[in-house]
Parts: sequence; structure tokens; C-alpha cells
Amino acid sequence: MSDQPLIKVDRILEKEHAVIDGIDISGRWNRMFSQRSITEYPTEAMDWITGLDGGESLRDCYQCGKCVPVCPVQHVGSYGPRKLHVKVLRGNNLIDDPDLWLCTTCGNCFRVCPKEVNPLQIMPAIREQAVLQGKVPDELAQAFANLQRQGNPQGESPRKRVDWAAEAGVPVPLIGELGRPVDVLWYVSDYTSYHPRGKDAARAMARVLTALGVDFAILGPEERSDGDSARLAGETGLFELLAEQNIKAFGKYAFARLVVMDPHAYNAFRNHYPRLGWTGEVLHYTQFLAEHVERIAWRSRLDLEVTYHDPCYLGRNNGEYDAPRKLLAAIPGVRLAEMPHNRANGYCCGGGGGGMWLDGFVAEHVSERLSERRVREAVATVGTDGSGVLSVACPYEPSRFEDAVKSTGNDGRIVVRDIIELIDQAMQPLPATTA
Amino acid sequence: MPETVLVVGGGPAGLEAARTVAQLGGRAVLVERRDVLGGTPDESHYAALTPNMGSAQEALDILRAGVRDPAIEVHLGARLSAFAGSAGDFTASVTGADGATTEVKAGAVVVATGFQHFDPGRETQMYGYYEHADVITLPDAEKMLSEHRFVRPSTGEPPRNVAFIQCVGSRDRRLGNDYCSKVCCGVASKEAIEIRRLLPDAKVYIFYIDMRMYGYWENEIYWPAQEQYNVNYIRGIVTEIVAKEGRLLMKGEDTTMGRPLEVLMDVIVLSVGMEPSRGTREVAALLGVEQNRFGFIATPGEPMDPVGTSVPGIFVAGAAAGPKDLEDTMGMAGSAAAKALAAARQAGVRTAGAVS
Repeated sequence: MSDQPLIKVDRILEKEHAVIDGIDISGRWNRMFSQRSITEYPTEAMDWITGLDGGESLRDCYQCGKCVPVCPVQHVGSYGPRKLHVKVLRGNNLIDDPDLWLCTTCGNCFRVCPKEVNPLQIMPAIREQAVLQGKVPDELAQAFANLQRQGNPQGESPRKRVDWAAEAGVPVPLIGELGRPVDVLWYVSDYTSYHPRGKDAARAMARVLTALGVDFAILGPEERSDGDSARLAGETGLFELLAEQNIKAFGKYAFARLVVMDPHAYNAFRNHYPRLGWTGEVLHYTQFLAEHVERIAWRSRLDLEVTYHDPCYLGRNNGEYDAPRKLLAAIPGVRLAEMPHNRANGYCCGGGGGGMWLDGFVAEHVSERLSERRVREAVATVGTDGSGVLSVACPYEPSRFEDAVKSTGNDGRIVVRDIIELIDQAMQPLPATTA
Repeated sequence: MPETVLVVGGGPAGLEAARTVAQLGGRAVLVERRDVLGGTPDESHYAALTPNMGSAQEALDILRAGVRDPAIEVHLGARLSAFAGSAGDFTASVTGADGATTEVKAGAVVVATGFQHFDPGRETQMYGYYEHADVITLPDAEKMLSEHRFVRPSTGEPPRNVAFIQCVGSRDRRLGNDYCSKVCCGVASKEAIEIRRLLPDAKVYIFYIDMRMYGYWENEIYWPAQEQYNVNYIRGIVTEIVAKEGRLLMKGEDTTMGRPLEVLMDVIVLSVGMEPSRGTREVAALLGVEQNRFGFIATPGEPMDPVGTSVPGIFVAGAAAGPKDLEDTMGMAGSAAAKALAAARQAGVRTAGAVS
């Protein structure tokens, strides 16, 4: 069989290994020809998708193709909103198509679309139908189940949500125990609470807030996942359940504003919780700290070449590009270098829209992870002499990018740091060891 | 005294309207913002006209000669500063560059205030017009072609690869310009032919969404560009231009092949579309004629009346009413002039009747 070359001509199908009724018909014995002519254009798929709440704009595509070259998934595979439109026009409702799960809802296509076709609404709408039909990739289904049972995608106990604080070196008050109003309710979020690298950022944040004299507290075990990525992955019901739990917790306490670590939480609280009954001031931590940057007492010089990865849900989808850069520019010794894909054209890390919980599934359909591609861009920008830093402002990213640093062979050549870690480091009195 | 028609704008539409009014026995007062006649084709250095490739300046000279007529009073460097009245009895103040104001009585008005080219700084892709010297617009290319040369602005050397990107500022809901600008496909193809004539070794590409070459433009421009001048038409669009090794790397998708494209170019021409000119917006507001949602002057009588505005006695010609090619413009100008003069005369008859 190995000396039987497989025919790769389009429309000719030939299986290398095929046994039917005990008879081996491998190779040319099973050669088949798929139908070449298109004999109908069924309209049902388009009618069905555009009939979904959120799916309406798919029909508006006029096939210009501007979305495809800016789609991060297209860079590592064959995908793009224009191509989805073609598929749907040809009768594919995407429910059983792997493409349904490749979109990270990063929003770069929507940025350039002259017809305002919006996959940030279309994809969740179709995915919701797939969820209802039980057609969800296993790893995503597991994350949904964890969120449902424990309120976090890792499936950790809610009681352990505040374990990180023991090693923060400063007190981290729980609002339920304070018994008084606070200025800042700090929503810590899932990966910051449970992931080892996220916890580093949480501890740094606690130290920085304390040093600045901010009157803050956290929800602790009462905090639940914001649910935004579950929503974008199609689990609207789960999103609403989590939102209800968080809104109930918010309602128990008095605070002036909510400060969040996670851009996805920022997106949820700012843009989606209002219709579920919670309205209030919400700031991403970079926005909050940018207001106080003049008050920060720097004690160390970092001497680092730093590039910054715009999180899709802080930058492009919520318009905040300057606060993180203002903070980085203020850190003594930090030299900021921009990657070619920055600000509105930032390249997605692959974690959004459920991508965080679809790594194995997505890997089967792309040539490399989006995070790996982004790390290559960072390396090309800040070099590999060990002083280069890929800075981030989203708790999804340290784990994604650190894995990518290793898998692209850049271990020890570039490091990944949340901006809060760099700030904390430069506020420490001891001369910094290299980040 | 014959009836007077006020013509606002001294481009092709205004020149033709004034000439027609005089030819029909009326009197025209032509008001032009600039110190020369000719409008955008002159101001933007048009070289050869689409589709017949005739000289733009020669064509404009014929129109300019048409208004050298005792029945036509031309005000250059002037603008409308006030306007009142109704059909048959309009009064306009025309203010010159020196600040002196003349009062003009007119029975009807033809607005011919034209368009302006889309500012590529407003596009939502990343073409970097203000960043890369070798990213230019159709009128920038036209200016070079009017001097019988086509070079890379950054080096002064002739380019090897030239790309046109269509629909820049047109057909785009996000920019508020939903409409097709109608002439850019033809103008880009015409310029591509001129470049190929000047630089037989250069490769010229046109990246498009849909080629819109209606009527004779199909056989007079599109087919010769492909068949005789080997212009390469690629159905695909560009979203980003980055500098690379002293050249321009354009990134996009070849939508016919469904594959990404990343091609090095030496000059990239943005086919910028039409927007209402500042003069069109200002004059529309001053005259009180309705504008459509894009800011062009509305023609509620379409399709049978393409020149009547929302105000009786005020007519519109050319690109002040939306994207127009020169054929449409000249046709509208004649029609607007005839209807304006007729409206002025009818109103005059009514007034005379009332007096007697």
C-alpha cells in the first residue's frame, strides 16, 4: 500500500485503508468520483440563520473579501466570514461544520466590513442552536459543565477562589466580611483566581492597590465567572445564570465602582449585564491605574524591551488602547515597541469566544495556534536576548502565550508578563532581577 | 430684458448649463468659487477623459469658450452669500474675493457645485495613504499622467508593479457612503491603459469587488484594457499595505481562488470615490434644497426628472446630485438649463398677467 501513491486530484476520492465486508479494497480499488456540478442552491440554511436572533446580518455580505485577510484564523488555516457566507449560500447551516467553532469573536472582520456583517452576533446565534442540539465539541462541553456546577471553567471549588490571597503579602479584604461600603469592588475573575500565572497577577494587583491606598475589597467565594466567553460560545442560558449570580452578589454590597482584571468581564459588565439588570461604573484595571499613574512610587528600573498585546475585548471591541500603553510608558526603564499588528488591528491570542476551551479541537483545523503566531510576532519585535517582554492585560494570555513561547522554541528568550506584574516589580524596593 | 438663470458652479455642468441658457435666448449669471473655470476636472489635473481618451483641457476649453457670450455674466473667485425668493423672483447676493457684494435677480437657479474626491484618510482598511509616499489616489495618478509620466513618488523611478484598489470610500455602510461612485472602475481602467502605454514593462493590476463598466465603457475601456494592454483584473480586495524592503506589500484575499494574497507593489493607486463637495453642502443649505442622506442634492422627481430639486425653480446638474460621469453630467446640464429657463419664463408670464 505504501508504494501506491494516493491520488490528490480534486473530486477524486480514494481511501488508503478501506475494508468492506472483510474485503480489503484499499487504494485504487475504492476510487470514487464526487459529483462535480452544483445542481441546486438551497436557500433554507441562509433563511434559517438569518431568522435567528443575531444571525440577520449574514445575508448582507457582498463577497468583497475584506474580512478574510484580517481574520486571525485565516492566517493559520482556511477560514473567514466571507467563506462562511459562501458555505451558507450553498446550503450548509454550519451546525455540523467545524468552522462553527473556529471563530474567536475577535472582531477584526467587523472592523473592516463595509456592510457591517457582524460575526460577533452571528456565530453565538448559530452556536446556541448547536448547543441546544447537543452538538458541542467535548472539551467545550466540559468547560460549560464546570461553569454550571462550580462557576468557573476549571471546575475548581468556589471556596478556593481566594486561596491566592494568602501569599499576596498584603491583606485582601472580602467585602462580605468588611461590613462597610468600599470605593473599589475588585472583580478578580477566573484565570486570575485559579491559574498559577493568573494568581501571580492577582497578588501583584493586591500589592499595587494596597501601595496606592485604594479602598478595595473582593467578593471572594461569592464571585462567579462573568460568563461572557460562554455566551460567545453559544451558551446563552449559562451566561444568564452566571450573570444572575454575580448581579445578586453585587446587589448585596455598596461600592462606587467595579474594577476588573479580565477584558471579557469588562465586556460583559459594560455591554451585557445592563440588559439583565445591573448598571454601574466598570473599569478595566489598566484604566483604573492609568488614573493614578502619577501617584505610583517607582523604586526600581526594569530596563526591558516590551511589546504589548492588545486584548480583543479591551482594545478593538471596547476601544481602550491608551491606558495600558500609558502605564507601560510610565514604568522606569521600559522601552515600548509595537508589533506590526497593534491597536485596532491587534492579532487575536485565540482564547476568545470559547477558544480558550477549544484548543484541542481547533488544533485539528489550523497549522499553528494563534498564540504561537502572535509569539513569533512578539519575538520579531523585541528580540530574543532575554530582555524582551510580551506584556498582556488579559488573564487568558499568560498561560496561552507561555505555552506558545515553549512550543515555538523561544523558552528563555522572551517572557510573558501581565502589565500589573511589571508595575508591581518596578514598585518593589530591591533592584529587579531580570523579569 | 430676458429671463435670468443663476448658475452656481463653473465646472462642466455649470458651464454647459450657462451656455445652454444663452443659446435658448436667456441670460445666465455664473458664479464660480475658484479664479478659473473648469471645476474638478481642472482642479484635479484630469489628463485624458474616460472613455474616449480625449484631452481634458481641450474639452474644457470648448466649454469655457461657450460661456464667452454677452448673455453670460461670469463671477470668478465669488460665492453666494445670501439667497431669498421663490421661482420667478429669486434674489442672490454674490460676494467676490474683495468682499464686494453684487445683488443678482434671477427667475430660476441651476446648482452645479459638484463633488470632491473621498479623503483616503477616512478609510477603515489600512492603506496608509498619509504614511506611504507610493500609495496615491486616482487624481494623484491623473496629475502625473497629465505630465506624461508615471513614477514612484518616493524615488522618481518608473514602477515595475502597479496596483489599483477599487471601491475606496464607496459601497461602504460604515463610512456612510453606501453608493457606488460609478466612474472609478472606468477611470482606473483608463489610467491603467495610460500607464501601460507609458511603461510597457510595468505590470498593472486592478483589484476589484465587482467591475462596473456599463454601456459602452465595457467595450471602449474594459475590453481594450484586458485584451490590448494586458491589465490584470483580480477579483480580490486589499485590507492592508505595509512597507517592505523599500516597496509596498499589499495583503488581501484573492476571492476567486479563496486564497490569501501578499504581493509586492511599487505604486498602489486608491480608486477614491465621490462625496458631495463642500460647495454642494453649503449651497444646498443656503438655497434650502433638500439633501439626501449622503449630502448630495436630492432629486425627488427621479427617475423621470433627474434635475428637479425639492424647491420649485431650483434645478441641479452633475455630481452635486450624486456620482455622475461626464456624459450624465452634460445631459443633466442641458436639461436643467432648459427647465430652469422654462420655469423662469412661466413665472414671468404669471407675474406679467397679474400686473396687467
